[in-house]
Amino acid sequence: MSEERPVVVSVRDLHKAFGRHEVLAGVSLDVRHGETVVVLGGSGEGKSVLLKHINGLLRPDVGEVEVLGYPVWSLPEDELVEVRRRVSYIFQQGALFDSLSVGENVAFPLREHMRLSEAETDERVETLLRRVGLAGTRDLAPSELSGGMRKRVAVARGLAMEPEVILYDEPTAGLDPLTGVAVTALIKEVTETTGATSLVVTHDLAVARELADRVVFLKDGQFRFIGSLAQAARQGGPVAEFVRAGGFHA
Amino acid sequence: MSILGQLYDRTWRRVRHLGGVALLGERVVVRLVTPPWDGREIVRQIEVMGVRSTNLAAVIALFTGMVMALQTAYALAAFGAKLYIGEVIGLSLVRELGPVLTALMVGGRVGAGITAELGSMTVSEQVDAMRSLGADPVRKLVVPRMWALLIGLPLLVVLADVTGIIGGMLISTWELGLTPRFYFSHVLRLMGYSDLFSGLGKSVFFAFVIGLIASYNGLSAQGGADGVGRATTDTVVAVAISVLVLDFFLTKMFLAL
Repeated sequence: MSEERPVVVSVRDLHKAFGRHEVLAGVSLDVRHGETVVVLGGSGEGKSVLLKHINGLLRPDVGEVEVLGYPVWSLPEDELVEVRRRVSYIFQQGALFDSLSVGENVAFPLREHMRLSEAETDERVETLLRRVGLAGTRDLAPSELSGGMRKRVAVARGLAMEPEVILYDEPTAGLDPLTGVAVTALIKEVTETTGATSLVVTHDLAVARELADRVVFLKDGQFRFIGSLAQAARQGGPVAEFVRAGGFHA
Repeated sequence: MSILGQLYDRTWRRVRHLGGVALLGERVVVRLVTPPWDGREIVRQIEVMGVRSTNLAAVIALFTGMVMALQTAYALAAFGAKLYIGEVIGLSLVRELGPVLTALMVGGRVGAGITAELGSMTVSEQVDAMRSLGADPVRKLVVPRMWALLIGLPLLVVLADVTGIIGGMLISTWELGLTPRFYFSHVLRLMGYSDLFSGLGKSVFFAFVIGLIASYNGLSAQGGADGVGRATTDTVVAVAISVLVLDFFLTKMFLAL
């Protein structure tokens, strides 16, 4: 990845504790335009916490997060809206709104931020659903969907505002292997066609292998490794153990 | 941890809780008076909270009115003053029992519902998803529910007042031999606009407090189904205590006006 591309996401010396448990203990990371960085790590290591800081959903105890040139935590909540229009967050379980249909979920950001007619909104919703392979599901309730379908709808909703940065939180967690592969392929297709900068949090090595320009390994609140997956496998220590346990060999 | 440490922790948690409720209250008030409002969602919430609570409010008020009539007749009989039962029931219901009982019962039902719904959305990250999509959860979720309570609870109180007075009439005619006309003329004899204003005014304050407590507990729920259950129980208890404590101060205030 070219060093000349501008830094889109910059995390500096980020610390976060919940009670007495320090989850992030001074992590720093730069993600460049168009790059896909996969954050690896075991359960409970603070991967999702890192992602939520980038979207301004959590406030750091110490440190700075800059996204698309905006200092996320210096902005009041209403000015963060501008950042959030340009940064999509795909939640682990989809986080679809139970009270809305699939179509209304996908239309939510369009109705919130764009002044489109109902016909234009409907057309865009149908296009987005078709793109994630779910044409004809707009009237279904989220409770009628399988886990894989929920994630696809979440991706469709995340793409509605044509974001410049997409944050994926455990995109294949809880899915069977075939559905996991399909969701990973969808993310790859989205990344290639939109050119969006992506941060993917996962413990699934297949996702990292398929998507990562770089991987970052988070353990005990700190990044223990930043580089390619092949380099990670050749390293000693916990990162190599993690990567080899996931079935990846350099 | 030492006893002193535990005491400090508990006190700090309470202070943070009260601070959180106050901050949410300020945000809600600002959004209640500034557009845009989601009219369709407000109407839906009035249906969910108000219309579906009418049976509860009416049944409780009917039997309260009937019991009051029996008890009041018994007490007034000692003074040979049974004929004044209409005045006692009318004023008690309109000034006090109508708003307080409705707030307690409907507040428990509606408050628990709000906390459970918002709590489920919070623990399943739907509230975070809303924020991440650039929407304001207070405006989207809390304000419509608050408007529904502010409109719905006073209307339910009017329903409860009327039903309670009818309950009193049933006992007055069946047990005491009064005519409905005589009973109603006595109900209205001492009742003034200030009495109606006092009762309905209280219900507006109750509605705001119920909505605020329920929404705060829902939005701060943690941990999954267990956390939502705890938050819901907390709401029912906090709503009951707050309504009764607030009623004392509101009664003092309205009497002083």
